[in-house]
Amino acid sequence: MDGFKKRLSESVQLRLSVTLCLAILLVALAASVFAFVSAFEETHEQQDATLRQVAMLFDRQHMTLQYPQGPALAGDDEETRVIIQRLSDSPHATGTTDEALPLPFPAGLADGLSTVEVAGEAFRVLVHTTAGGEHIAVAQESDARDKDAREAAWRSLLPFLILFPVLLLVVGDLVRKLFRPIGVLAAEIDQRAEQELHPIEEQHLPTEVRPFVVAINRLLARVAQSMDSQRRFVADAAHELRSPMTALALQADRLAATEMSPMSRERFVPLSRGIARGRQLIDQLLSLAAAQSTSERVHTRLSVHAVYRQVLEDLLPLAERKQLDIGVDGAQDVHVTFNAMDLLTLVKNLVDNAIRYTPEGGRIDLSVTQIPGAVLLHIKDSGPGIATEEQARVFDPFYRSLGTDEAGSGLGLSIVKAIAERSGARVQLSFSDTLAQRGLCVTVWLQALKAPAPNKDNHHLF
Amino acid sequence: MLHYTRGDFLATFALALESKMRILLVEDDPMIGDAIQRALSDASYAADWVKNGLTGLAALDTHPYDLVLLDLGLPGKDGLDVLDCIRARNNLVPLLIITARDNLDDRLRGLDGGADDYLLKPFDIAELLARIRAVLRRKGGAAQSVLGNGVVTLDLLSKHASTDEQREVALSSREFALLQALLIRPGAILSRSELEDRLYGWGNEVESNAIEFLIHALRRKLGTHVIKNVRGMGWMVSKSV
Repeated sequence: MDGFKKRLSESVQLRLSVTLCLAILLVALAASVFAFVSAFEETHEQQDATLRQVAMLFDRQHMTLQYPQGPALAGDDEETRVIIQRLSDSPHATGTTDEALPLPFPAGLADGLSTVEVAGEAFRVLVHTTAGGEHIAVAQESDARDKDAREAAWRSLLPFLILFPVLLLVVGDLVRKLFRPIGVLAAEIDQRAEQELHPIEEQHLPTEVRPFVVAINRLLARVAQSMDSQRRFVADAAHELRSPMTALALQADRLAATEMSPMSRERFVPLSRGIARGRQLIDQLLSLAAAQSTSERVHTRLSVHAVYRQVLEDLLPLAERKQLDIGVDGAQDVHVTFNAMDLLTLVKNLVDNAIRYTPEGGRIDLSVTQIPGAVLLHIKDSGPGIATEEQARVFDPFYRSLGTDEAGSGLGLSIVKAIAERSGARVQLSFSDTLAQRGLCVTVWLQALKAPAPNKDNHHLF
Repeated sequence: MLHYTRGDFLATFALALESKMRILLVEDDPMIGDAIQRALSDASYAADWVKNGLTGLAALDTHPYDLVLLDLGLPGKDGLDVLDCIRARNNLVPLLIITARDNLDDRLRGLDGGADDYLLKPFDIAELLARIRAVLRRKGGAAQSVLGNGVVTLDLLSKHASTDEQREVALSSREFALLQALLIRPGAILSRSELEDRLYGWGNEVESNAIEFLIHALRRKLGTHVIKNVRGMGWMVSKSV
């Protein structure tokens, strides 16, 4: 109940629906009570009029009164029949029931309508004095009259009984329809990717909602601007770092070329390694900034094998240093439509990652398959893999798995994610060896018309 | 136009006498400029270092240079404008851009504007020197008689290959053609069909294992490490060290 109250206070739609329904219910209730009572009384009035008409008929046509003898006629219902008797015959009433006439009406009944208890049953009685001065009583059982009146009254409620639910449905539907644009709008905003900060379409929205949307649009514009300047800052900062890093690297190169004592030489190694790491970090930062930039990309038809080849040419020296068996599985090449630089960066970062985290003597396989509506790139390694609970987090910038002593920049998978998100590709992590839960298998879905539903166990998708 | 003085003339004359290649370095960053200049000297080049584009243009007017190293982000006159000025004066000096600008537009503008190569900062001295040699070689027009990658060298005239262990190994014409194809761009992977096209001409019917046979033969003669197989892709020789 509390939950309902809370929802009621929070949801305009629910409040509107409930209030309208209650109002309809109250009005309908009042109207039905009125209709019931008036129909009931109307029927009684008509019945009274009938009694009067019978009395007038008797009087006008100078009818003679003869009490029925023997068995009742067929179709004569004792309950509903109208009876006429001389009031003066009442003392001669034979029985105590209302079966036979005359009935024992009280002798002192005045002219006009009254309700009288006779033989344990209520009767509506009209006493009339004829032209001949004779008092006659025209009567009918109250029970039957009331029954008819009630039936008429209930029938008068029928329209309300039909109209009420119809009205509720119409109101409910109307309210829902009026609020639908807001729901649609919410869904549209909800489905947006991180970079989609374009303003919300406000043309077809109700005027009541529009100021709100305009305000949101202004906020979106500000957010886009601040995100943009932040991205530019990262790119500019990395860019500015290039010059001092170049100077540092060149000086170190020169130092390496000079005569050094074995001890100096030994101490020089981590220094130059650090410089190399700094250079790589700057490159990756710039690469990430480029991947996140919202500028339009030129898409061309690319051979996946050509991309693999270029990546292998670049990274083979790294793989050779660790004696990794790296290669391409399958002879069938596939073409995709993608931005050349983006695809190269994406694959290169994934392969670089695989080389880094696969122990010496391991194996890395690149392959490509085509399924209806999508092209799948697989990069499989024989490394430790990524634990299922960690799979969602490895795409965060600078996230580093526990227990890895690999000197990566921590940006590779973030770059992959940024490219994938911007170009509608999907990246899925799983194990190369599902049984042993070892080895990372990265699957990239390109041109996926329909993405696979996210699978909670063992897969991470974005 | 600057006037030629007697001193300038003598300097030029002296330069001509020296066999050293003379390089003009246009770079505003003192640390980078200093490091490059010293590295060039170490590599037996004569390097003049100026810190902005206008001085650079003036130096080019007064001295003949064998090569220009041009930074793009220069104070006063941007590197790309300096490049335009140089080429507008019909000066065809070999020119290598060294810059931190990595966007495609600048790269294309540089190369379209007449730069011979484009080297992105940060770079290694070795990389810079290799690019300088490559540009000088291309511009020099002298046909290269030796190809190599530090592991194996191929004499294009005698068609002999050498490694550290094996000297002057004679190769068959097919073996020579295959090794030459691989050594033109060390580090590049060539697929079987690409090698077949280079060896036998395009569209010719080739026996299915012809390439493997040649590679096997070359490895037997020169050592297995000379030609590397990249599973599923093709073959390559290691990139120059």
